[in-house]
Amino acid sequence: MLLVIIYLLFLLTVDWINAAGGLWWRPFVVAFIVVLVASWAHREQETDEPE
Amino acid sequence: MNFELPTLVALGSVYLSLLFGIAYITERGWIPQRVVRHPIVYVLSLGVFASIWAYYGVVGSAQREGYGYLANSIGISLAFMLSPLLLRPLLELTRTYQLSSLADLLAFRYRSPWVGTVTTLVILVGVTPLIALQIRAVADTADILSPAASHGSIAVGFCVLITLFAILFGTSRRPGRTQHDGLMMAIAFESLIKLFAFLVVGGFAIFGGFGGFDEMQEWLLTQPDLLGSLEDTNYFSSFHVMALLFFSAAVAMPHMFYVTFNGNAGRGALSFASWGLPLYFLLMSLPVLPILWAGIRGGSTVPVEYFPVAIGVAFDRPGISLLAYLGGLSAASGLIIVITLALSNMCLNHLILPIQQPAASKDIYRWLMQRRRVLITALIWAGFAFHYLPSDKISIQLMGTVAFAAGLQFLPGIVAILYWPLANKRGFFVGLASGVGIWFPLFMLPLLSETYSFSDIVINWRETAALSLIINCLAFIFGSLYFGSSDEERSSADLCTLDTIKRRKRSGLVAKSAGDFIKSLSKPLGERTATREVGQALKDLGLKKDDRRPYAMRLLRGRLEANLSGLLGPSIAREIIDSYLPYSIVSQHGSSDVTVIENRIEAYRSNLSGMAADLDNLRRYHRQILLDLPLGVCSLSSDREIIMWNRALEEFTEISSADVVGSQLSDLPEPWLTLLEDFIGEDIDHSYKQSFELSAAKRTVNLHKAFIEESGETGSNEGLIILMEDMTETEILEAGLTHSERLASIGRLAAGVAHEIGNPITGIACLAQIIRDEYKDSELTGLAQQIIEQTDRTSKILQSLVNFAHAGTNKLMHENERVLISECIAQAQTLVSLDKKNKELQLEIDCDAEAAILGDSQRLLQVLINLINNARDASQAGGTIVLAAKNMGSHVHISVTDFGVGIPNAIKSRVFDPFFTTKEAGEGTGLGLSLVFSIVEDLNGNIDIISPFDRTRGTGTQVLLKFPCYDPQLAET
Repeated sequence: MLLVIIYLLFLLTVDWINAAGGLWWRPFVVAFIVVLVASWAHREQETDEPE
Repeated sequence: MNFELPTLVALGSVYLSLLFGIAYITERGWIPQRVVRHPIVYVLSLGVFASIWAYYGVVGSAQREGYGYLANSIGISLAFMLSPLLLRPLLELTRTYQLSSLADLLAFRYRSPWVGTVTTLVILVGVTPLIALQIRAVADTADILSPAASHGSIAVGFCVLITLFAILFGTSRRPGRTQHDGLMMAIAFESLIKLFAFLVVGGFAIFGGFGGFDEMQEWLLTQPDLLGSLEDTNYFSSFHVMALLFFSAAVAMPHMFYVTFNGNAGRGALSFASWGLPLYFLLMSLPVLPILWAGIRGGSTVPVEYFPVAIGVAFDRPGISLLAYLGGLSAASGLIIVITLALSNMCLNHLILPIQQPAASKDIYRWLMQRRRVLITALIWAGFAFHYLPSDKISIQLMGTVAFAAGLQFLPGIVAILYWPLANKRGFFVGLASGVGIWFPLFMLPLLSETYSFSDIVINWRETAALSLIINCLAFIFGSLYFGSSDEERSSADLCTLDTIKRRKRSGLVAKSAGDFIKSLSKPLGERTATREVGQALKDLGLKKDDRRPYAMRLLRGRLEANLSGLLGPSIAREIIDSYLPYSIVSQHGSSDVTVIENRIEAYRSNLSGMAADLDNLRRYHRQILLDLPLGVCSLSSDREIIMWNRALEEFTEISSADVVGSQLSDLPEPWLTLLEDFIGEDIDHSYKQSFELSAAKRTVNLHKAFIEESGETGSNEGLIILMEDMTETEILEAGLTHSERLASIGRLAAGVAHEIGNPITGIACLAQIIRDEYKDSELTGLAQQIIEQTDRTSKILQSLVNFAHAGTNKLMHENERVLISECIAQAQTLVSLDKKNKELQLEIDCDAEAAILGDSQRLLQVLINLINNARDASQAGGTIVLAAKNMGSHVHISVTDFGVGIPNAIKSRVFDPFFTTKEAGEGTGLGLSLVFSIVEDLNGNIDIISPFDRTRGTGTQVLLKFPCYDPQLAET
């Protein structure tokens, strides 16, 4: 699921990133969103991890 | 702006001492465990991956490839974001089997010590450039800050310091056993310093180098080359290869394996790292472009990779340069310490121990520690020697790529551990040989040769890496399919499949106790080591030393193998365990350890989904039925080991399931052992009313048994299931029923006899009266009077018999009304006082005025009179009898108490029997209390006899009657 979300995010934003011009920070915004999604995706699994 | 060499040396020494100090105070327990075990510490310790290539190398990469420099961070981040696919199952495996390195893992999966040896050799050669580039970067940056210093002497000084600290870090505790909390804290601190330094340098690049963010943007718009490199998408062609290279590094690089799997801080840490580590690398990536641009603007002449240090020099900010240098030193030292510790473990387990093992008489721990120290030293100085070999033209990033490309060759073997059970060691060797066969001439040799450079290779390094991986995969697949797997490999593949359920076979061991384990292991390990290891394994499992259950012994064997695996490597550990702790009974196919499987499924339950979850629910449902069945259920294996002991059996036998599951049937206490063994030995499937003594009471059971047929095979069985039905209560009820039937027969007989005898007696009495009246004043008058008296007496006895026989059989004829107990007692008192025998009797009445029941007052009166007469007979002349009636909640308690001799224990159980009496012949019929019992039952009450009532003197009797209180609603219905 996470992989699908990341891939969709990549597809949606790749043109926006490449058309950055001087706005070099755009990839980092996308990366930050990916990290947020990942933190949400792994939140539920924290209690499931076998000791 | 130059620094003196001693300043840099002092800075390095102080910093490394600080790291060691943090490790020391952590191991001493001076830092709270909640801090040490916090997932943030785990994430930061994983930051060791951001070594020199992430600190210096990425700046050069950003210049050449624009955003392509992010591929490294994205690769490692993806490995952690997708941890459920690879890292989490591997974590489970490494924890379960104490596998401390990639070589351990591969040797365990492919069941060959040679796999471990070859893996160690390839990694040893592969990561040497990685160690070398750390040394080179530290020496190069020191050169920038202190041009007067000799490059060689800086490198030597750094290696001496780092060797000293790596030995101190790595050999302070037993290898493979502890989680190296101190080391993890030190590495986490190192990552924090590195991140802080890089962010500060990046901030300086923006605000010091350009004067602000907007100024940097404006400057960037005037640099079409740089803008073009950012917008250029050529790097996409190699982006995925680069990302894959670093994805595989998360598992294949020894330092990452070491931190990811050995330093895991516990529950949830990996989940936390799944987004924490990507965030760390995102923060590390942020300052790269500003540093690059500030370096270009500042006109630095040093290689682009060293811009983090150089911009401080270019803008004359010595503090920034020193901080950047410290960050680089931190990145290099962290990686070298961890990688040499991990490699020393691998070399010890897979290169040295297979050739030379310590004698049992030696201190094994000391022997291992000495060799680890030597190995750490050798590895660091091998890196030092190697750093002279590559040409200066080869960038540090390229050197790192060579090392990571070596790690990439293990990716097929690692993925197959979880996802391809058909993989085998021959396929692994063929695949690895093919991959390394491409990697070595096309990656490694160009590093070593001045004349044979990367520019001579027609295809670029990314295509080479992709080619080596593809050929490796193909060779691995075809090799595995061609050669086929051995039984041992198939068994190992089963253990490693993704469901992570360990299918331990249920087999008996030759060693039957912890003492036997110590005795057996003393031969290869020495008594001291064996005692310590067995003690540790018992402690890990929470078992007692005197536990002799086969299930516990199997667990102990498994734990010992895991612990020794951490100490000596899986190959040696398995060899020792198989040789010295062998199985006595070779388990049949399918006789898996059900208990272990159940425990594992329970532990893993929340991870099941879809059909697996449905099947698990079905399993739980069936299991719950067996557990909650009101019949005792015990299942036995074919070798008489107890597999299941349900709750009904726990309650009946008072033996806990935890105490008995996993033990042999012969370990059961008496009387269960004899009962079950005799039944199993008999050639019958059902045995009814087996009686035995338990806690001085007679118990009766029905036993049933059925053999569990082995699936798919007829005639053979996997074990036996026994059902135990507690018949004790039923037996008592049956006895009571028989008794009642007997009484009913007596009643019917008595009624018949009374009727048949009553008529002639009446006739006799009439004739006697005629004689008495006709022959007055003669001798016959006296005789006739005696006949009349005797017939009266006979009539009374007959009337009692009829009353007893009719008691409870004709309820419709009785009244059903509110009976006020006080009135009934008063009436009884009056009637009793009419009898001349009761003239001296003292009756004390203590009665609640409102106490009332539903019933027939005449029958209750009959009960009271009977009881008072009995109490009178038991009392001495002039004795006191207490009649009491109290409302006690929903019941009325009526008691008749005397202070006479009491009832002997021997006859207590018989007082309600008809015709049982202790009175003289002619004094009583023995039907009084029987009648009372019948009437009380008819009135929905019950009767208790408390004797002796006065326990101190042992005298007195109290008859206690309990009736439901009068309920008007009930009376209407």
